Amino acid sequence: MPTIKLQSSDGEIFDTDVQIAKCSGTIKTMLEDLGMDEGDDEAVPLPNVNSAILRKVLQWATYHKDDPIPVEDDDSKEKRTDDISSWDADFLKVDQGTLFELILAANYLDIKGLLDVTCKTVANMIKGKTPEEIRKTFNIKNDFTPSEEEQVRKENEWCEEK
Amino acid sequence: MEEAGGIMLTEIPGGFITHRPHSIVGGHHRFAPYPVVLHQPHIHRPTVTPAIYSIPSHHHAPHLAAHPRTHAGAYHQHPTFRSAHRPQSPATPPVATVEEGTHIGHLYPEILVLIFERLSVRDRGRAAQVCTVWRDAAYSKSCWRGVEASLHLRRPSPTLFGSLVKRGIKRVQILSVRRALKDIVTGVPNLESLNLSGCYNITDVAIGNAFAGDLPNLKVLDLSLCKQVTDSSLGRITQHLKNIEVLELGGCSNITNTGLLLISWGLKKLRRLNLRSCWHISDHGIGHLAGLSKETADGTPALEFLGLQDCQRLSDEALRHIALGLSSLQSINLSFCVSVTDSGLKHLARMSCLKELNLRACDNISDIGMAYLTEGCSAIATLDVSFCDKVADQAMVHISQGLFQLRSLSLSACQITDEGLSRIAKSLHDLETLNIGQCSRITDRGLEMIAEELLNLRAIDLYGCTRLTPGALRKISQLPRLSKVNLGLWHVR
Repeated sequence: MPTIKLQSSDGEIFDTDVQIAKCSGTIKTMLEDLGMDEGDDEAVPLPNVNSAILRKVLQWATYHKDDPIPVEDDDSKEKRTDDISSWDADFLKVDQGTLFELILAANYLDIKGLLDVTCKTVANMIKGKTPEEIRKTFNIKNDFTPSEEEQVRKENEWCEEK
Repeated sequence: MEEAGGIMLTEIPGGFITHRPHSIVGGHHRFAPYPVVLHQPHIHRPTVTPAIYSIPSHHHAPHLAAHPRTHAGAYHQHPTFRSAHRPQSPATPPVATVEEGTHIGHLYPEILVLIFERLSVRDRGRAAQVCTVWRDAAYSKSCWRGVEASLHLRRPSPTLFGSLVKRGIKRVQILSVRRALKDIVTGVPNLESLNLSGCYNITDVAIGNAFAGDLPNLKVLDLSLCKQVTDSSLGRITQHLKNIEVLELGGCSNITNTGLLLISWGLKKLRRLNLRSCWHISDHGIGHLAGLSKETADGTPALEFLGLQDCQRLSDEALRHIALGLSSLQSINLSFCVSVTDSGLKHLARMSCLKELNLRACDNISDIGMAYLTEGCSAIATLDVSFCDKVADQAMVHISQGLFQLRSLSLSACQITDEGLSRIAKSLHDLETLNIGQCSRITDRGLEMIAEELLNLRAIDLYGCTRLTPGALRKISQLPRLSKVNLGLWHVR
């Protein structure tokens, strides 16, 4: 099976199946644009992904390598968040820091499926909470001035209808 | 690269070379050099970087301005800091307080938007109240696409309407009115849809004030159950809301034929008109819509749906007008129009575009009317003759020989037997919905024929079919596509 080398930000080299590496739109384009071939000794540098996260990403991509290409979301219908597969749910039982690193990596590497499921996971952490509960969940500082806070509350009162 | 935070990148044209690890210190993620396909590139507000989360400065590093598809510039070119003062200078360097682990503040506003898009309206509104960065991300237009804001129009909140405009919300439902209706129209000037359904205290005066000038963007207006509204309001609407495509007037029982004349004079683009329970309107008014008084009004030739439910003064003459002048009509609701008779259906039979016909509880429709109807109208996909108690087996013969496009047939409480049902089962193989509730003469034999023949059936209503036994129900439930069986007042399976 043809492989390529991926180099994480901390210098670790990952020998990776080309098909799996190409789950990443970024790597796919790099290979094409730079004309890199399989078996090339040169490693593809991924300066924005450290080895721990790259290992996770490749684990995800390996499991999902045969997934059909995701279709474009239909804007008209409400996006679901309750359709996370049990494998993904287990895979994403990680601390918040790792989850956000995975989102950033999925965004940087342009892996739609992984970005999708990680964003869904964060959305599920927000659901049903009050603003204060959300702040506590993610350790976010409330930086509104009192008058701004009152204003934004009023602007969003209607969202509570029905 | 506007702000390097201490890191220098050599930008080589066209290059991914810029990402070679030796040029970068540290291992954190950076802005994606490739816009993710999901991204909606229309955030043009100068959003800020989430400095309140103490982000290590190098997080903002590699901005590949040369990349033609990069659209991330919207936020990272203004790395302003959130503090009590919030200096607006983009040159303010971030304070590098290195934290262990990655905080949600490291997610770019565009990623926050991706997350917020997956929330319900309520959760989105709450996310906007978390902090300024989240508010700015949550107010992006892609989060609110297609959302209808449901508002109580009461004590003034000066920034509410502006915030709706900012979010790109163009559809508003008014739940109650305790201040001028005009405010919403001026506050959200590009409104496309205004739903006032059930605002019983809306008067002609309020409508007159609100629609005092042209509102070319407004396409949908729902005045259902605004019972005080009269033809005078329609005068205003037809004068200033020329681009209305959908007008709901159900239950506005003060509307008369004059109102319909105004509509046929002013609303050329009308596609959908609902006049349910407008008891005053008569055949003459329908004639206006059909353009039969051309010297004063052209009519509404683009009309696709006409709701005339419970307009009890309408007779067969109204159907003659409709067939003559409203040739684009695809759907018509005549339920409870008790003065319509079999002869009226002769006119409808000429309408080649008609796909949906509701004749529910039209007491004077019988088998003969079905014979007339099925001489034409071959495009009908949905037919409802429930509670027409003169419709019986002979009608099934006509339907099965003429309406080959039928997908949905409702016969609840009709006088049909297994014989009529067998006609349907043998010829209408595309049928997906069959409602035969309260057809108490039907037995297992009729249902078994359906189970054998109608393999595309997805839904069947058998409520109150008292002669059926569990054996026949078991057979019907084995139909491959069936997902809905109604046996009682609830859905089983």
